[in-house]
Amino acid sequence: MTALSRPATTRPSADAAVPLPRGRRRTELLMLAFAVGVVLFAYASVGFGLNGKLPAGLAEYGLAFAVIVLIAHLAVRRFAPWADPLMLPLAALLNGLGIVMIYRLQESGRNGNPGIQISTISSSTTTSQVLFSALGVAAFVAVLVFIREVKVLQRYTYTLGVVGLVLLAIPAVPGMPNSTVPGTGAKIQIGIGGFTVQPEQFAELALAVFFAGYLVAKRDVLSLAGRRFLGIDLPRARDLGPVLIAWGASLLVLVFESDIGTSALFFGLFVAMLYIATQRTSWLLIGVLLFVFGAYVASKLFSHVGERFTSWLHPWAGNNPTHIAYQTVQGLEGLGYGGVLGAGLGHGQPFWTPLVQSDFIVTAFGEELGLTGLMAMLLIFGLVVERGLRSAVGVRDPFAKLLAGGLAFAIALQVFIIVGGVTNLIPLTGITTPFLSQGGSSLVATWALIALLMRISDTARRPAPQPIQDEGMTQVVRAG
Amino acid sequence: MNRALFRLSLACLVMFALLLINVNYVQAFESNSLASRPGNARTFDSQFQFQRGSIVADGTGGPATIAESLPVKGSTTGNTTFQRHYPNGPEYAPITGYDSIYGATGIEAAYSKYLAGTASSLTVHNLISLLSGKPKQGASVYLTVSPKAQEAAYHALLDDGGHQAGVVALNPSTGAILAMASDPSYDPNLLTTLDGTTLNKVDKQLLADPSQPLLNRAINETYPPGSSFKIITGSAGFSTGKVAGPQATISAPQPLRLPNGNFLNNDADESCFGGNPTVTEAFLLSCNTAFANIGMKVGGPTLQSYANKFGWNDSNLTIPMQVSPSVIPRITDPSFTAMSSIGQFDDQVTPLQEAMDAAAIANHGTVMKPYLLKYVQAPDLTQLAATTPSVLSQAVSSKVASDVGSMMVQVTQNPNGTAYQTAGPPAVGTSLVIAGKTGTAENTVSGAGLDDAVFTCFAPANNPQIAVGVIVKGGGFGADAAAPIAVKIIEAYLGVH
Repeated sequence: MTALSRPATTRPSADAAVPLPRGRRRTELLMLAFAVGVVLFAYASVGFGLNGKLPAGLAEYGLAFAVIVLIAHLAVRRFAPWADPLMLPLAALLNGLGIVMIYRLQESGRNGNPGIQISTISSSTTTSQVLFSALGVAAFVAVLVFIREVKVLQRYTYTLGVVGLVLLAIPAVPGMPNSTVPGTGAKIQIGIGGFTVQPEQFAELALAVFFAGYLVAKRDVLSLAGRRFLGIDLPRARDLGPVLIAWGASLLVLVFESDIGTSALFFGLFVAMLYIATQRTSWLLIGVLLFVFGAYVASKLFSHVGERFTSWLHPWAGNNPTHIAYQTVQGLEGLGYGGVLGAGLGHGQPFWTPLVQSDFIVTAFGEELGLTGLMAMLLIFGLVVERGLRSAVGVRDPFAKLLAGGLAFAIALQVFIIVGGVTNLIPLTGITTPFLSQGGSSLVATWALIALLMRISDTARRPAPQPIQDEGMTQVVRAG
Repeated sequence: MNRALFRLSLACLVMFALLLINVNYVQAFESNSLASRPGNARTFDSQFQFQRGSIVADGTGGPATIAESLPVKGSTTGNTTFQRHYPNGPEYAPITGYDSIYGATGIEAAYSKYLAGTASSLTVHNLISLLSGKPKQGASVYLTVSPKAQEAAYHALLDDGGHQAGVVALNPSTGAILAMASDPSYDPNLLTTLDGTTLNKVDKQLLADPSQPLLNRAINETYPPGSSFKIITGSAGFSTGKVAGPQATISAPQPLRLPNGNFLNNDADESCFGGNPTVTEAFLLSCNTAFANIGMKVGGPTLQSYANKFGWNDSNLTIPMQVSPSVIPRITDPSFTAMSSIGQFDDQVTPLQEAMDAAAIANHGTVMKPYLLKYVQAPDLTQLAATTPSVLSQAVSSKVASDVGSMMVQVTQNPNGTAYQTAGPPAVGTSLVIAGKTGTAENTVSGAGLDDAVFTCFAPANNPQIAVGVIVKGGGFGADAAAPIAVKIIEAYLGVH
């Protein structure tokens, strides 16, 4: 625990021979090779599982994936040489496994493979997902190239705040084409050309930057104590404004876009960052109370929110398993079918679960890789979050610290909301699973998020400039 | 801010810990109950990927396979899948039930864990087949049902002139079910299709059929017992000492004026041995007024407690399918008690309970718990579970059972007995003695015009091997419509013609 709070950068003094922290890029490369190996093995395993043959496209997809990952690694070597060596391999592994599962779901009932064809997946979905991964890594590289210090983002605090809100609001504008995600009631996307984009995925990044900039500027005021109540210092009433605005905005998202998960995610992100900035527990309490109140009112006002609560508490009651809790029940039955060791890739029946390629992809992993595989994947997510928080602790600049802490927490919260939802730990709210779910917006935004975290960790781990060792030379000049 | 970050990372740790605990709960602890949940598309579908165990009728005349999984070519995948097949579908449908992609009934549902190979006792076996690369196979369920008796029972019901009917045959000394048939029945083979749309259509048709072919009339439909209930009334009379014995005389006026002023008549308003018969005479002629008097002497609550000892009013009986309780209400009013003691008023009975009544008399007053499962056999031929016959209750003493049994013999052997013509020497000869009781119940409930015909019996009288309960809805006289069915089953089972 003390290790966590110790700064990562050990500043070498001029006289002590402290070894410089190494960039550990070679470790990263080795880990990446391992990640690519696991992904290729899983891909081959899908083919054997489905019809006993090596799957088509092993060479093409495998090569494409390896090249994409290698480009990311080279970019890190060039532009963020001190960055955390674990993050990129973990991200690549998750992204790769996501592609493998989407391929497995795409092949269900297609090309003579067993299973039922999933209507919401086309025969080119895997190719698209690989292209989206390339796009994601492009965004990753772009962030590393153009943002050499996250501090520069602080200048655009309010601009990005406005950008974030606009992105969030676009799908709610009446008349937007294709704004509703098929199979759900969520109005969170817009159609551009032949594609659909979910702007909220990018809004998360913009808003995180905005929160960080805003809170760094106001944190002294916000941490002023008002009344003391039950041993807790409450903030002053006039300082409640920002948290109420964030709460109101997230409720608006819920009302106009029917997207409970995103609403909870953004509000949680804001409250967590408010807490990091002010260190005041009272903000957490106020945030949680507001959230519970909002959720309760929403469950009473909107039938679809109420249904989520009912299907969470009573998934097996009455005709719930075939109606409102159908998806949850299918997901749970898939997990149960997988058991401890899993059915094996290609041997399960994840096709029964609606939207298994997006919101419910975790249940497909649980079904085919079993409890063992699902725990491993959750631990990978846990490691990504831990590396992010580690960077936050290590970096000195408060803005970067706040941003890194917020982004890392956002991943944790997102995983908690969606995995908890599909395993019926908490009410189900549909949001994407980072790196795994099918869809480009989420993948690109998550890669950009990882790039920001790696940029911050690069700053945190970068050794201080070497002191000039040529004092002796200057002593040559003697008086007289 | 590091302190807050540290606390936040603890929060993240808690969130991940909760997720991990929850998936452990779902995938490790709840895994089995999720898999065996009815309507689980995955386990149902995976059932068709491997060979489900057979159901075998392993009683006298067996073994006969009555449900099996046969390989068929999968239409979409080309892989081998298995489809359920019922060789004598409608005959055994009340026993096997069906196993469809949407759900199962009967033995298919009750022993699904064994048949599908998911029972915990099969875990080691499954692991061995997994490791040795053998295909997974379910365990087979062997039943006590006698193919001889079952065939006779089903065909006798088919030949009864289109009446709805149910019949159960038991081994009186163990409770083993030898036959259980229901008419009209359905063909479970229609429900084994792997195509959901077809299945929905068939299911809808069966449910909409006014003759209710899916209803198992042997255990899930109740009828008024009529005079067959006099077995219980007589047993209660002897046991309580209110009636001295089979040779005691009892008042049997025609008509009997009940305390509430109504009149109770004998069948066809006939006189009963001049109004002063012995109990045996009243029994063999089935005089209503005599047994109404016995019932009133015993009293409603006591009468009910004796019925309960025979297994009536038991809503927890399973064989393993749930059996609808046969009802005899608790009555204090003597007039209604009089009606109830001759099997009218609100009395309701299943064919199974009728068979249990006779079986109890045959088995020295001891009611054995009826059951279908003989044993379960794993694919490696080891026996996994077997039924040990168990006592449900002691209904009456051995002496009373023997007294009532001797009266039941008179029903078929005395030329005046109600079943002399149909279950006595004229029908079966002198070598086979059947002890029985007829019932002809006014069915204001079913409103089918004709009375419900009931016959309950056991045979051979001196060494009971089989007890039968038959009810034919709207069949008319018990002796004419129900007794011949029982006789056919007994003859087939005992191998005498």
